[in-house]
Amino acid sequence: MRTSPDAQELLSIVAETFRTDLLPHIPPAQRYTALMIANALGIVQRELAGADPAGHAMLAALALLYGEDADDSLSGADLRQRVEALQHRLCIEIAAGDFDHDGQDVLMECLEEIVQARLGIANPKLLRG
Amino acid sequence: MGALIDGESRPRLESWLAGATGATRVSVADEGTLGGGAISLNLAVTLDIDGGPQAGRHACVLRAQPGAGAAASGMKASISKAQEFAVLRAAFGAGVAAPEPIAACGDPAVLGADFYIMRRAEGVGAGHKVVKADQPQRGLARELGRQLGRLHKAGPDTPGLESLPVPAVSPALDCVHAYRDWLGDLALRDAVLAWGLRWLEIHAPPPGELALCHRDYRTGNYLVKDGGLTAILDWEFAGFSDPMEDLGWFCARSWRFGRHDREAGGLAGREDLYAGYEETSGRRVDPQAVAYWETAAYMRWAAIAVLQGRRHTSGEEPSLELALTGRMLPEIELDLLRHIHSLGLTASSPAAADAEPSGDADEERVA
Repeated sequence: MRTSPDAQELLSIVAETFRTDLLPHIPPAQRYTALMIANALGIVQRELAGADPAGHAMLAALALLYGEDADDSLSGADLRQRVEALQHRLCIEIAAGDFDHDGQDVLMECLEEIVQARLGIANPKLLRG
Repeated sequence: MGALIDGESRPRLESWLAGATGATRVSVADEGTLGGGAISLNLAVTLDIDGGPQAGRHACVLRAQPGAGAAASGMKASISKAQEFAVLRAAFGAGVAAPEPIAACGDPAVLGADFYIMRRAEGVGAGHKVVKADQPQRGLARELGRQLGRLHKAGPDTPGLESLPVPAVSPALDCVHAYRDWLGDLALRDAVLAWGLRWLEIHAPPPGELALCHRDYRTGNYLVKDGGLTAILDWEFAGFSDPMEDLGWFCARSWRFGRHDREAGGLAGREDLYAGYEETSGRRVDPQAVAYWETAAYMRWAAIAVLQGRRHTSGEEPSLELALTGRMLPEIELDLLRHIHSLGLTASSPAAADAEPSGDADEERVA
């Protein structure tokens, strides 16, 4: 049975209440801490809602190099594990020198897409327009 | 760790200080913790010294080695408080605007931790305040260049610096090795970091002249009063390295506090920093080497952010600030990739630093 409100819904109203009802009244000495809390709540919200879309974006980026292993039907822990496995493989290839001379443009494109996907959760203000 | 100075430790501190300063009596007033102590513990103290060459009242800072837990994970990049004191003496002696070192204590019976005392400087340190200016702060950028040039005249032969390690292979490859060590298994799980490390290996310059480097020389780590420099702080990462490392670090996007049009620390253009540096160092700035060290700067900052995050996740030092620093990784990686991209994609021919675009000015750091 689904609990209602669920974790995301609860978190959403917590974050909104904190920002609108509390943040404006925080004394200056504690304001930095309060902003850090608001920032952290935002990250958690985006991660709960956006982990799978970010995983698919990273899988699509890795498909530039490993097309055959990208699978759009994955979700949750399976998706995360597939992304981790492909990133691990890529790390080993990079460290072995496989991109020292060739393939750097495709590699850079892939890495930039991966960072964009992770920025969407950690700090979407920095996403390219 | 409880309060460093309490009713029990104060008499021990005061009697040790009397001995260290040749005084008949010293009293210490504790004025609380100072900011900027993500790694070290900084206490504002006022010393009242009776007798001896330093008689009088002195506003000081007591800087102590943090607790053992922090030392185990987060502190891999930093030197001991005794070494830091030796660096401070060398820098101050060379005419660098480092806080004046007063006395260092390595006896754990006094406060339970290694510490030293230095004179307190006045001014604003917070990066976002320092960069706030309608016009480029060209004079300040030039002065910071001059200061760095003076510091870099010290090296492994400078008396008092014998305890600082000298790079084993080359400054560049030693750095790559250290970053890999700090990152641990993340270097095999995060492909951006893996590429950053590999890029640094492929492009590593051969070993050259070693200089005493600050290694955290950036906006946010110096104090400014009425537009002028008053002190250069946070010497805990100092060590011998390629002198271009400090210039690359200073100019990295991470320390421009949103003023990306002013590449020298959000203050002014690089040319002012470089001109001041060449005035005092007796050395030419090598823009290509600075560009290499700017890549190293992003990797170093990424690895330090990972260490900071780990201080929290390990349970040794629960802290929202440390946790959020760990979450800055994608932002640092974005800067890393942007910088590598600007240098061109060909491994064998890194482009000159002046090919780097000035970047967007519309980005802001968040809390």
